Amino acid sequence: METPDTAPAAEGDAVPLVSGQVVPPGSALPAPEPPEADGAAREPAGRAWRFVYRPRWVAWHLFAFTAALGMLWLGYWQYHRALSGNGLSWAYTFEWPLFAGFALVFWARTLRDEYRQRRHGGLTETELARRAAAAISLATLPKGAMLPAGELPAGMTLRELQLTVRAAQEAAYDDADDPELARYNAHLAKLNTRERRKALGAGKERIL
Amino acid sequence: MRGAVLRYRVMAYITGVLIIVVIFVGIPLQVAANNKFIVNYVGTVHGWLYIVYVIFAYLLARKLRMRTWPTVLLLLAGTIPVLTFVVERWMTRTYIAPALAGDATTAAQHPVGR
Repeated sequence: METPDTAPAAEGDAVPLVSGQVVPPGSALPAPEPPEADGAAREPAGRAWRFVYRPRWVAWHLFAFTAALGMLWLGYWQYHRALSGNGLSWAYTFEWPLFAGFALVFWARTLRDEYRQRRHGGLTETELARRAAAAISLATLPKGAMLPAGELPAGMTLRELQLTVRAAQEAAYDDADDPELARYNAHLAKLNTRERRKALGAGKERIL
Repeated sequence: MRGAVLRYRVMAYITGVLIIVVIFVGIPLQVAANNKFIVNYVGTVHGWLYIVYVIFAYLLARKLRMRTWPTVLLLLAGTIPVLTFVVERWMTRTYIAPALAGDATTAAQHPVGR
């Protein structure tokens, strides 16, 4: 749950799609992140849940449940006040359990968001599929193509777009006319797949 | 995004004003003059409008992908006098303004490629 780090590129600027291209002056590009930061955000399902035992998360569980119990207790107290003749307390009798429920829903959603973040960079399955489709259409652009600002796929930062396009271009690279290069690429792909399987354990393939 | 920001701001100002009335007018009246009118009625209205505030603030926090503790602070701000306004300004500076600036580059959704 970070603030969106979308590059505030000025209107009309062109943004480079692939690294090594000309950056128009004045356009703010996000600094490239180290590759391991990206990999560390995605973990297999079982291990991705382990964060719930971390001290700061345990503190969060305790806070959320103490708060919810406190609110329920306040509701109970208002219920007694209402029974003893304080008519206004009826409103609070129902209001406090509502807040307690909200606290628990909020707590559960923080857990779900963190899990999704660790499982696949915070993206839902449909979002991942949509991005893959966008990347495939972008990969057909000629090298050196520039994308006008304002045409980023919704919700995608420039950095994410560049990474996606690069991955798709590597995947779609046409080496049919060079058998030696094709063999080498096939070998690299095999090594890459093996490493990923190892890293992911039983391993579901992911898109990026 | 702009709609969510507007809804949050409207509710922040309403709950912010009401809590100030309750704490700084209602409670002195109750203590000094034993007049419970403001505490009882404005207090109850604040209580229910605060629910609306919590919902809108929470939806905005999700849109802005805020972290947990800033979200908690944002939600609790509706119950503490003056803090509502301080937090509204802090929200604008830290989250809303950057997100709206970023919106200009991500808003358009055209088929890319070709």
